Amino acid sequence: MSEKKPIGEERKVEFLSGSAIDGAPLSYMVVLASVVVALSFFPMSAILSIGGSFPMSQGVLGLVGWVLGPVAGAISSGIGALIGIFLAPHTAGIPFIRIWGSVVTSFAAGTMVLGMKRKGWWFWVWLYAVLSFLYFIGRAIFINGVGLWPAVANSFVDWSALILFALPTRTLFAKWINSEKLGLVLAGLGLGTWTVFGLAHACLAAITYHMFNWTEEVFIMLIPLIPFENLMRSIIGMVIGGGVIAGLRAIGLVKPENAIY
Amino acid sequence: MPDKIAVFKDVSYKYPRSDDFVLLDLNLEIYEGEFLGIIGSTGVGKTTICLALNGIVPQFYGGRFFGSVHVGGLDTVEHPISAMANYVGQVFEDPETQLISTSVENEIAFALENLKVSREVIIERIPQALSAVRLEGTEKKHPHELSGGQKQRLAIAAAIAVQPSLLILDEPTSQLDPVGAEEVFATAHELNQELDMTIVMASHSAEEMAAFADRIALVSNGQIVAIGPPDEIYADIEILESNDLRPPQVANTFYSINKRGISVPKIPVNLNDALPMLDSLSELSQSAEFILSDPEEVTGEALLSVKDLAHVYPDGTKALHGVSVDIAKGEYVLIIGQNGAGKSTLVKHFLNLLQPTEGVVKVGDVDTEEVSVSDLARRIGYVAQNPDNQIFNASVGEEIAFALKNLDFDDEEVETRTVESLEAMGLTEVRDMHPLALPKGDRARVVIGAILAMKPEIIIFDEPTTGQDYRGAKYILEISRDLHKMGKTVIVITHHLYLMPEYAERVVVMGKGTILLDDVIRKAFHETETLKSTYLSAPQAVHLSQEMQKLNSAFPPLLTPGEFADYFAFEGSAS
Amino acid sequence: MSMMKFQTVERDSFFSRLDFRPKLFMVAVVTIVAFVWESPMLQIGLAGTITVACLLVGVKWSYIRTILLIMIPFYALLLLTHAFFNRDQVMALRGIESVNQLSRVFTFPENWPFIGGSFATWEGLNYGFNVIFKTLTLTLIIPLAVFTTEVDNMIVGMVRAKIPYKIAFIFSSTLRFFPLLIEEFSMIIEAQRLRGLAMEKMRPIKRVRVYAKVAVPLILGALVKSQQLEVVLQSKAFSGSPDRTYLHESILRPSDYALIIFFVLFFIAAFYLLIAFGIGTFGGPI
Repeated sequence: MSEKKPIGEERKVEFLSGSAIDGAPLSYMVVLASVVVALSFFPMSAILSIGGSFPMSQGVLGLVGWVLGPVAGAISSGIGALIGIFLAPHTAGIPFIRIWGSVVTSFAAGTMVLGMKRKGWWFWVWLYAVLSFLYFIGRAIFINGVGLWPAVANSFVDWSALILFALPTRTLFAKWINSEKLGLVLAGLGLGTWTVFGLAHACLAAITYHMFNWTEEVFIMLIPLIPFENLMRSIIGMVIGGGVIAGLRAIGLVKPENAIY
Repeated sequence: MPDKIAVFKDVSYKYPRSDDFVLLDLNLEIYEGEFLGIIGSTGVGKTTICLALNGIVPQFYGGRFFGSVHVGGLDTVEHPISAMANYVGQVFEDPETQLISTSVENEIAFALENLKVSREVIIERIPQALSAVRLEGTEKKHPHELSGGQKQRLAIAAAIAVQPSLLILDEPTSQLDPVGAEEVFATAHELNQELDMTIVMASHSAEEMAAFADRIALVSNGQIVAIGPPDEIYADIEILESNDLRPPQVANTFYSINKRGISVPKIPVNLNDALPMLDSLSELSQSAEFILSDPEEVTGEALLSVKDLAHVYPDGTKALHGVSVDIAKGEYVLIIGQNGAGKSTLVKHFLNLLQPTEGVVKVGDVDTEEVSVSDLARRIGYVAQNPDNQIFNASVGEEIAFALKNLDFDDEEVETRTVESLEAMGLTEVRDMHPLALPKGDRARVVIGAILAMKPEIIIFDEPTTGQDYRGAKYILEISRDLHKMGKTVIVITHHLYLMPEYAERVVVMGKGTILLDDVIRKAFHETETLKSTYLSAPQAVHLSQEMQKLNSAFPPLLTPGEFADYFAFEGSAS
Repeated sequence: MSMMKFQTVERDSFFSRLDFRPKLFMVAVVTIVAFVWESPMLQIGLAGTITVACLLVGVKWSYIRTILLIMIPFYALLLLTHAFFNRDQVMALRGIESVNQLSRVFTFPENWPFIGGSFATWEGLNYGFNVIFKTLTLTLIIPLAVFTTEVDNMIVGMVRAKIPYKIAFIFSSTLRFFPLLIEEFSMIIEAQRLRGLAMEKMRPIKRVRVYAKVAVPLILGALVKSQQLEVVLQSKAFSGSPDRTYLHESILRPSDYALIIFFVLFFIAAFYLLIAFGIGTFGGPI
């Protein structure tokens, strides 16, 4: 049928893309925010039957950034987190910290760009995370008398993420996520989730630590727990992200302008 | 002749990233005040025609567009979609995605707000629109609190609040139960008759379209291949069949009779038109060869047995009470009833997804409550309605093997069964593809294949025909018949009664949480009053047969147009 | 299904009649003040006021109780660790030179193994209370503002408060769509169990992977729907532009201005007292 030539005269089509924020269609933002809300209902502690309670939604925040780009991703995650807090208080924790963490995570993920566009955005997120990290560690060691080693071991997730985000590993993970090979995509997603959440963790640590002023004993207690939680997030990010990206490629859905998958 | 409200002139259109034209040199005129039905199998371009009427095709999708579409004198390519929204109201298939607001009144206000209609006017229009679809008093409700039919009526109210010259409904009833579908058709009919609204509706519901539409346009391969009054289009059975469309059963009945050589003055498309024609039929004699062929009743020990089952949901809803039913090995059972009658609740007890509040459910000798869901899954396969909620893996092969790995079969067994299942479903070629890259009908096969790989004794299909066109629905039912022939016990839940006589043996009719009737299909379908009490209507062939019985008490209880045709002696053969 | 509806209070009160904008302002002021204050007494007062206000305007006790139940282990940890271990910080804040100057409230007997001789300090305990009630204020202030506002008023209020309409739209549409996803989520879990998945038999890591897999069809299905949603929006003349009319109004009445003025004064007073008299610091006059 493609050989046939239509009788009618060809018209010039003014392509009106739908309403969008920073190139991401609002409808995508709505559904991904809804996904974040829906996954807020499932605390990992219930799934793992161990302590430590963060909702499953945290595993997809990175993915939201990679699919929608930094600005739209941050807005979507933020709104999802906000609504999730009211509806699922059992996983909420402290509202504005949860919201801010979601915003930073998706934004950081969205800045892991490959091309020249927005090449420098990552630096500002990184700088913010570094300053937060320094405040957190400085306050712990110099004001609250936490020992150097407990502080360093406790903040493994934070400084490992800061390093991975500053080195070319950042673009390497992005390249992997963008790759054809599913194995590389998974590796990129896992390590990428570790990095962006670690970054957000550092940013939040400055705020929460300012309030809570945990003592050295708590620092020591949390040494194994924090990386374990982040590992769980990375696994979730990897499994969900891998399936979603493979599926998106199969369906051939229109890619948002700033997506990196 | 009334004025033309919309004109397609030599329209051809190709979606971006597609090689074929979905519309090709299509010409169509729509007149003011008419009810135009658009029919055609899935993928022929019905939706594209609907979307071209308000400029979404091509302005939103892009692609290549030839010719022109004018609505109310406006060229849809030259005017922005938002301007066209003043003239054209659209109602879509899925009741859920098209309601975007958190309350009924906001839903109606949404388009008006976007069109900058003043607040005072919006406040006036909300009750008007709601009363036109009989949803008065629901202003503050959340869409979640409405039934499927109410949701679609709200979507219609939101569309007509703009006071468009043209209302388009694209498959508005395909996701609804019979009650909901009836509500939507009645609403569309009323708007057309009483408010003179021009209506364009794409639908697979042949009987309703025959009753309500003024004209029917048959679309095939991107062109209108036939257009005319329903009497004409639906009477042309050959063209319908060659386009994979199902004719209304009355039309099919008289067509089949006619084909036997018994001349009928015309082929009626509505039940009421057919009734006067029965008199002359009743004078004909019965064919000597005619015998009612009913499947042998399956007896034997119950494979599934439900005794005095009651279920109360945590919120206090009594979903089931006093339900007892036995299903023997090798039966093909149809479960029917309106939404909320308890069909799914009952089936979930077979699978231990729900536990009885009272009573016992057994599979073989085992109480289902004592077996884990995953272990029961080996014995009972359940094919849920939406295939996409049942696809978790990145390739067809992995999808089929998924359950086998969960059930700890060794690698060799997993491979053998996967290969078998792929072959049985004709999916060997696409083993390495992503399931979501396949068309919807094929995705349903992937899910069925994945369930067959577990080799269950019982297979349950939950509304397998909803949202499928005639060909798609038949295809799945053929699979169910094959499985039945292999000795499996098959249970089907569906609203599409007219599809089932060729497949099912026994019917369980449910209503308000109890079993109203449990009998062989021939008897059950003829209990039309019982069916009516749970908002189901028997196929037209059953009604015709009952009318014949009034004229001739010896007339048998028939189920299908085919049986009708076979019943009568061929006039020529006697002489 | 009740949990899927956005919770709004049923009680009509002074608060539920207010516009969303003064409430947003209140959230901002209370959050900043709670963050800055370090005085346990003031924090208790603030958290108490907010809690009472929540109950008065009709926020359900069950909601507050859920939050408290979840937070109790966390609060206990805060209190115990600060009481027993927070030395350096409270000493620095109070200007105390030696551990012996701290007032002890409890000491474990010397002969107990491991913990013998360790003691809780009054100052540490106080600091713990400061943190706990600070957290409680931050947690309850948002439901106080949000649950007392109709979604419609929230959207219009957001637009009037110069929050972009697109963001307000995403907010309201998300409220509409997430219940569908939650329903779908349970259907998917059901489908997986019916394909032989036995979560109860799995080790933790595997269980995480399996659970995460549920989200895949959920997200893909949602994204496919989003394309349909886009078409629906187009057909309803949606452009994302704030230049549209609104069915619901958002008018600031005298009571709204009164609330704004009150919180402006509260904010100024809190900072003045903090800077001039140290009221609100840890170990300050109050």
